[in-house]
Amino acid sequence: MVKAVVGEESQLQLVEDRLSQSSAPAQVGLVIGKLSSGLDRGFVYDLVPTPQNDVGQSACSVLEPAKDNRKKGSNSKPKSQSSDSSSSLVIDKEWVAEHARQVSRMMVGGINVVGIYVWASEATFKNSTMVLCQTVKGVAEAASLLEDDLDERLLIHICYSPRRWTCRNCTLSSNITSSSLRPCDFKMGRVLTSLQTFKCFYNFDLSLPIYQEKASKSETLVDVLRNGISNYVKELRGAKAMIDGNLVVNDEICTTNGLHEIELLLPFMKDMYIEACSQKDVVGIVNFTGSVCSFSFLNSKESISQAVADIKDDIIRSLLSRLDIICDEADEDAGTNDDVIKETRNDSLSEKPVSQLVLHSLRKNCNLSLPRRVFVPWLAGFKRPLC
Amino acid sequence: MEKNNKSIRIECPKLLITRNESDLQWLIGSPFFPPLTIISTFRCIHSGSSDPDFLKESEEIRTLLLKGLDVIGALIVGKSDPQKTAVRAVEAARNLRRVLSGRTNLENEEIIGAVADPDTGDIRFFVSENESSASLDLVNSVSYDANPEKFLWESGCLLLCQLPIKLPVCFPVNKPSDVECIFSRAIEAVIAKLKDPNVVYLVEASNKASLDVVQPVIIRGADLDFDTTAPNIELLDEAAHSSEQKLLPCGHFCLKSKSTPHLFSAKNADILQVSVLLNRSEKSPKRSAPAVEYFPAMEETRLLIVDFKLEVLCYAVQGIPLMHAISKLIIPGLIDQLISMKQMTLPNLLTQHPELHPYHFSPPGIAHPVTVIYELSYGETEMKQVDARRSLHMRLGLPFDRPLLRIANSLDLSIKDRSSTSSTRKGSSFLKDVHIGIPSSGVSGGIVSLVQGSYEYYHYLQDGFDDSGWGCAYRSLQTIISWFRLQHYSAVDVPSHREIQQSLVDIGDKDPAFIGSREWIGAIELSFVLDKLLGVSCKVINVRSGSELPEKCRELAFHFETQGTPIMIGGGVLAYTLLGVDYNEATGECAYLILDPHYTGSDDVKKIVNGGWCGWKKSVDSKGKSFFLQDKFYNLLLPQRPNMV
Repeated sequence: MVKAVVGEESQLQLVEDRLSQSSAPAQVGLVIGKLSSGLDRGFVYDLVPTPQNDVGQSACSVLEPAKDNRKKGSNSKPKSQSSDSSSSLVIDKEWVAEHARQVSRMMVGGINVVGIYVWASEATFKNSTMVLCQTVKGVAEAASLLEDDLDERLLIHICYSPRRWTCRNCTLSSNITSSSLRPCDFKMGRVLTSLQTFKCFYNFDLSLPIYQEKASKSETLVDVLRNGISNYVKELRGAKAMIDGNLVVNDEICTTNGLHEIELLLPFMKDMYIEACSQKDVVGIVNFTGSVCSFSFLNSKESISQAVADIKDDIIRSLLSRLDIICDEADEDAGTNDDVIKETRNDSLSEKPVSQLVLHSLRKNCNLSLPRRVFVPWLAGFKRPLC
Repeated sequence: MEKNNKSIRIECPKLLITRNESDLQWLIGSPFFPPLTIISTFRCIHSGSSDPDFLKESEEIRTLLLKGLDVIGALIVGKSDPQKTAVRAVEAARNLRRVLSGRTNLENEEIIGAVADPDTGDIRFFVSENESSASLDLVNSVSYDANPEKFLWESGCLLLCQLPIKLPVCFPVNKPSDVECIFSRAIEAVIAKLKDPNVVYLVEASNKASLDVVQPVIIRGADLDFDTTAPNIELLDEAAHSSEQKLLPCGHFCLKSKSTPHLFSAKNADILQVSVLLNRSEKSPKRSAPAVEYFPAMEETRLLIVDFKLEVLCYAVQGIPLMHAISKLIIPGLIDQLISMKQMTLPNLLTQHPELHPYHFSPPGIAHPVTVIYELSYGETEMKQVDARRSLHMRLGLPFDRPLLRIANSLDLSIKDRSSTSSTRKGSSFLKDVHIGIPSSGVSGGIVSLVQGSYEYYHYLQDGFDDSGWGCAYRSLQTIISWFRLQHYSAVDVPSHREIQQSLVDIGDKDPAFIGSREWIGAIELSFVLDKLLGVSCKVINVRSGSELPEKCRELAFHFETQGTPIMIGGGVLAYTLLGVDYNEATGECAYLILDPHYTGSDDVKKIVNGGWCGWKKSVDSKGKSFFLQDKFYNLLLPQRPNMV
C-alpha cells in the first residue's frame, strides 16, 4: 500500500503554472511515475493532460446543476463557478483510458501510467469521486503494469482555490465505495535527478510451431505471436541477470552512478514456450527473432533486482506494444479498405495485412517486420521510446 | 628389466582377485594424482574370444567414470608368463584409452600393466613408458594406503551440472527414416552450442554454509579454452590469489574446515553446482529489430520433442581453475552423456519415450562416485533394470546379494545444510544405529562381528502406543524390518502391532480375534511376518538352555559376517534384538550386543546407553549373574539377506 508520494518539483511546478494560466474549468490527465510496493512509496515524474478526443471534445468538463444554469448569465467566469457546491465533473472515461493505453506504450522500464490527476475545485472534486474512481479503474485496465501489479493507483487532485495538491490512493479490487479512496502523504521533491539508468540489449529467438489441430485453425499470425510472447514471459521472468558484469544475487542498492548495463541469462535450450508434447503434426513454423533495446529507471532507494524486473517488463511491454500497433494499423486499414476487399474477393488473401493472415490456410512464406523502437529525450534527459 | 625408481600407489581398499582365468580389470586413476596411483578397478565384462570388446567397454565406462578420473592401466589374472601377460594388459589399456578419448596420439602416456597370480593373489606391476618402446619396467615399490578416502577427498571436490534440455525435431511424416538423421544433427547442434561464446556457466557452492559466504561466479563461454589437453591442466597455487573470476580455483567454494577424518567421503565432499545459461544480451553483429518469418511445411510434417535430463558429476582437485574445470570436465561430461543418451534413445525414437535419468552412487569399497543412466519407463524392479544393475555389480566387484545401486542408494546431491544433517532425516523420528560409540565388551582378544548397515531402534511405548509387558517381540520385528528398509531391500513401511497381527491372521496362523489383542508373538511368528511382508526367509537356532548359547557364538559371528542382519532372540522369556557378538575363539569368552526393546524412556541415546538398553552383555557378568537364563529355552531368528540387487 503506497503511503507516501513524492512529486518531481521541477515538472509539477510547470504543470501548476500551465494549469493556473489556462482558462479551462477542469482538466484531467495521466500521472506518469512509479509505484513501489517494496518501499510503500509512489514517485510522480510528470503529468500529461489528456488531449481532446477525435471529435474535438475535451476529456473533462464541469456539469452545473440545473439551478445553476439559470444563474449562468451573472456568473460567467469559470473560477467563480467553482464556488458552487453542487457542480460535478463529466469525464470521457473511455477516452482517458485510450490515452493511457497509447501513452503506456511509450514508456520504458520503471516508468508507468500510475493514475490520473484532475484540476478542479474542492467541491467539484468531492462531488465527482465516483466518476474519478471509475476513470482510474479504466486507466489501470488500459495500462496495466505487468509484474507484481499493485492493486492501487494514484488520484492527484490539484485544487485551484486554495491552490493545493492532494494525493489519494485508489484501490482497484473491490467495487467503488467511499473506502476506495484513501489519502496519502504528498510532497514535492527532487526525484528525476537521482534516478539510475539501466540499459539492456535483449536478443531473442522464438520458434513457434503451428499445429495441425482444430483449435489453431483460425489463429492469425498476431494471435500466434501474442501467445508465444505470453508463454515466453515465464521464462524471461525467471532469467538471472548480471549488472555491469556482476551476477545479481542479493537485493542490493545500486550505489554507483552512470549508465548500468544489464545482461540477461536464460536457461540453456530449455524453451518453456514450446508445448510439452511428444509428437504432433505441424503445418509450419513461425520464427520470431530480433533484439530489443530496453531501458529502466530506478529510484535511489530501490534495490537492483527491481531494475532487473523493470527491464524484463519493458522488454515484454515493448514486444506486446509493437503487436498492438500492428493490430491498430490493421484495423484502420480494414476500415478504409472495406470496399477494396469486397470487390476483389477472389484474391482477398493478398489484401489482408500480413498480421491478420490465418497461418493454417496459408501455404506460402511470409514476412513481417515489427515497428522499430526509437528513443527520444524527454524529462531531464531520460528517454522515452516512440514505437 | 632394469631397476627404476618408480613406485605404484594403491588408493583403493583392496584389489580383489578372483580365480577366473581370463579376468581383466581396468585400473582407474586420475590426471590430478601423482602418476601410477590406482584408486579403483573396474572389471572388464564384455570380451570377445580373446580380446575385450573395446567399443562396448568404452561406452559403459564412459558413462560410469566421472570426468576427472581415467583408465591408467589394466590387470590380468593369469598364470602364464608375467611379462607377456603384462604386455597384453598394457595393450588392452592403451586401446581402451584410445577409444575412450577419441585421440590417437597417446604416445607418451605411462600405462600400468599388472599381473595377478590367481593362486597366491600376488600382483606384479609393470609400467610402459610409451607406446613405441616395447620394454616394460617392473615396479617393485608398491604402497597401499589405509585411508584412500582421505587421499581423494582431502583436496578433492565434486562438480555437479544439471541440465534439462528440450530438443524439438521436425521430420517428414512420409519419410520417418529421416528422423534419425535430423535428430543426430540436432544433437550435434546442441554439442556445438555448449561451446558457444554466448553460453555462460554459473558456479555456486551447493551447501548452505558456503552458499551464504561465497558469491556465485560467472564463467563466460568466450573465456573458455578448449585446446589444452586434460593432463596439462595447471594447478593454481593456493597463494596465487587471482581477482579474476575465471581463474578462481574450485577450492574457492569448498569448506576450509575439514579436520574430522570421517568426513572424508564422496557423501561429504564439497559439491560445486554448475548451471548452464545463455547470455541473451551478448553483443552480436546480427542485432536487428524484431521480425517474423513464417515457414509453411512443404510436406506433412511432425514435431517431436525429446527431453533430456543431463546430470553430470565430475571429480576435480581444489587447485584447478574453474574455467578449466568447466572446459575440461563439465563440458566434455555433458557431451558424453548427451551422446550416451542419444544412443539409448535412437533405436526407438518414434515409438518409445524412454525416461532416462542419470544417478550417482558411491558404492562401498570404491572411494569415488560412479554415474549410471537408468531407463525408468517401467520402474526399477523390471527385469531389464535388474539385469543392468547385476552387470554393474559385476563391473564394480560388488556382492550380488544386496541392493547397492538402486535409486534409493544414490547420492543425495541436493543443497545440504550441514548444521542439521544428523538426527531427523526423511521425516523418520526414530533413533538410528544406537550401538555406535558404546563401551567395548571387555572380551579380551575377541573378534567383533556386527550387524551391517543401519537400523532403527524400536522399543516399548513408542508413538504413544502402550505395549509394555507384551510388545517386545513386535518391537524387535520392527527393528529388523527397519533394517531391510534402510538397506533398500524393500520400501514396505515398518508395520504397526496391529498390522503385524493382521498379517499373521492373513496367512492363517492366527484367528481373527488375535487382531487388537495383547498376545505375545515369538520367533516363529516373526519369521512368518518377514516372509509375508518382505519375502525374507530366516534360519532358526534353538537352544534348550541359555547356557548353550556360547556354543553358538561361532555360528552367530558367521551370520553377522555373511548376512549382517539383526537377529531376534525369543523363547521362554523376554525378546531381544541381537546386533553382534564379540568372541574369542581360543578362550571361548564371548559377549552379545543386545538391543533391548523393553526400554520405556524417551529417545535419548545417552539414557539408552547408560541404562544398558543397548550394550554388550557377557553370558556371565562380573557378579556371576547369567544374562541368558539356564532354565529357559531360546529361539534365535536369523533373517537371511535376500539374493537380489
